[in-house]
Amino acid sequence: MSKKECVAMLLAGGQGSRLGVLTSDVAKPAVSFGGKFRIIDFPLSNCANSGIDTVGVLTQYRPYLLHSYIGTGEAWNLDERGGGVSILPPFATQTGGSWYAGTADAVTQNLGYLKQNDPEYVLILSGDQLYRMDYHDMLQCHKDNNADLTVAVMPVPWEEASRFGIMNCDDEGRILEFVEKPKEPKSNLASMGIYIFTADLLIKTLEEDAVDPNSSHDFGGDIIPKLLADGKRLFTYKFEGFWRDVGTISSYLETSMDLLGSEPAFDIFTNEFPIMSNSSTRPPAFYGPNAEVEDCLVDNGAQIFGKVTRSILAHDVFVGEGAVVEQAVLLPGARIEAGAKVVNAILGDKVVVEAGATLGSLDADTATVGNGDVVRKGE
Amino acid sequence: MAKVIGIITCNYTSKEKDFTSADRPIAAVPYVGRYRVIDFPMSNMVNAGIRTIGVIMPKNFRSLTDHLGAGKEWSLARKNGGLFILPGTAFGTARVGSRFLIRDLIQNRAMLERSSDGYVVFSSANIVFNADLNELVDAHIASGADITAYTKIANEDDADVVAFDAEDGVVKGMKYGVKEGELAFLDTFVVKRSLLLDMLDWYAANDHLDLIEAALTHGAPLTINTFMYDGYCAAIFNKMSYFRANMDMLDPELYAALFPSGRHVKTKTHDTPPAKNETGSKVTKSLVSAGCRIYGIVDGSVLSRNVIVEPGAVVTDSILMQGTVIKSGAVVDHAIIDRNNVIPAGTVLKGTAEDVLAKGKARD
Repeated sequence: MSKKECVAMLLAGGQGSRLGVLTSDVAKPAVSFGGKFRIIDFPLSNCANSGIDTVGVLTQYRPYLLHSYIGTGEAWNLDERGGGVSILPPFATQTGGSWYAGTADAVTQNLGYLKQNDPEYVLILSGDQLYRMDYHDMLQCHKDNNADLTVAVMPVPWEEASRFGIMNCDDEGRILEFVEKPKEPKSNLASMGIYIFTADLLIKTLEEDAVDPNSSHDFGGDIIPKLLADGKRLFTYKFEGFWRDVGTISSYLETSMDLLGSEPAFDIFTNEFPIMSNSSTRPPAFYGPNAEVEDCLVDNGAQIFGKVTRSILAHDVFVGEGAVVEQAVLLPGARIEAGAKVVNAILGDKVVVEAGATLGSLDADTATVGNGDVVRKGE
Repeated sequence: MAKVIGIITCNYTSKEKDFTSADRPIAAVPYVGRYRVIDFPMSNMVNAGIRTIGVIMPKNFRSLTDHLGAGKEWSLARKNGGLFILPGTAFGTARVGSRFLIRDLIQNRAMLERSSDGYVVFSSANIVFNADLNELVDAHIASGADITAYTKIANEDDADVVAFDAEDGVVKGMKYGVKEGELAFLDTFVVKRSLLLDMLDWYAANDHLDLIEAALTHGAPLTINTFMYDGYCAAIFNKMSYFRANMDMLDPELYAALFPSGRHVKTKTHDTPPAKNETGSKVTKSLVSAGCRIYGIVDGSVLSRNVIVEPGAVVTDSILMQGTVIKSGAVVDHAIIDRNNVIPAGTVLKGTAEDVLAKGKARD
């Protein structure tokens, strides 16, 4: 078996229950984002752009769409011989089988995959975060520090630090203490849930963790504290760019809006580190004679006859004559019929808002409509 | 469907020097923003279940092979069958006449002989339409004709389209150039593979001829049935027919006819983000591809990917190809701007509805 320097394990099994109807029938990493992407495009593109060609994707919750979307990985140039994308769902063995019981357990159950690829380093990623990062830089930092584990961290506003897992470090970036949601934070460096382990240590630690009856088999809750207690060399890798974990409806909408405006917080128009996706082939977007579209992202295949502002329209979205759409995210195939009004809302795949119907308001919480549902006039 | 392979011929370019860049085969010309003309015959074949397609190349084939790659986007990158890039014999690219040159087929006889499929569907890469080719093949098998060809009553004169003279659905003769009301040949036909191989033997001495022409005029004439098509189609041979075929797609009914929801037109995909309509922009009656950034005014136009229309720029009734930048205050009207052109601030480029202005490809 050929030796790989670094293999990525992408945790994509989560339900994302706080995303409500958006994840009622797909896993969170498969949720559409930014008009033409799905969330998992971001970590997969990061891998491809960082030269990591071997990625195990750990799936569990409603995996069908995710599996078919990832396919052979060719959309991210990850259809490599002797590597590429491997989809790793829970499986049975001669002694039975079990669901993934935690982030660390998911990797433990796939130690066979890791051993087969025999990497020097293992990159642990989350499939539900939006950011652009060159993992090669992080790996270099890991090597320079001669670290056992490197944790990517980002500075967060001090007043929000108590919402995160916070790393307290010395001047060299060596982690002294890890505190989950501290009441009185001593640092504002939050863990991003992105880890590079030296492979031998990871395997040994996971094998020990697996038989520890007191462990909940979680990287943040169990593995990091154990390595710290054992005096291992844990370092931070500081990341300053845009990073979001879209855990809730409001953060999903907020992060979507970060793509808009004249100077978007998250710039997806760059050729240097492209976000790749398994995109559909649709004709260009069609604008009717009375269309009014400002501050919007519009994917191919959309048809717009009405007025749309500050919104994101995925492929095959239809906005009828006289319809008004404001501050909304319309997922593929959503249909706003003539004269309907949609404000401050997220509409799932193929949602129909019937002619003349009204949905949402800027004064209320963001309205959400699940895939395929119909909003009728007067409801 | 019966087992069928496809052959697409791409050896045709425009007679007009200013129409896009000289020497680019029409097959590789961008159409409706994100497509190339060849996507339409390719998709018709693939949507009908054909998984073995040979594409006969013109001399200047770089842009075509770049676009087609290994055929992945058309499900043609496969173990058995798939996409075959075939050499053409013509030195250069034809500017008149023949689409299905016999010597091009003789040169590639091996592909036809190695196949075990019963039928061969041919298309040129100049006429765009979206049809279910199974209907053509089924009608062909049911009729017992030697060849069955897609035809349509011409809406207008076109010097480059082949006209058929037919009686009771059987072709009696052909000529280059069709007049309004005559029967136009849509450059798409089906023939039994074994008969095709025989024809290549019979006509070998006249290999400079078009296969259809030879079938009508040499030896015992073959029976060529017509198969009427009544959907949208556009013949793209020159600047004005190209311009009109693009502008047709700004009519929602014609757009729906060329892009029906059940038969997607497949093309090479790119990793471009969605288009961004900035505050202060205005886009009406237009088609805008992914990756565009619109700050100015666009009306009645077709934009390929990654076009930038700066604040204060005005684009009307025009076609802007990939990567074009229209700088602040520039005005572009009734024009075809080929890829990567930067139109400087304040420039005015105006053509007319009868004779649009065409600006050739800029360097990458």
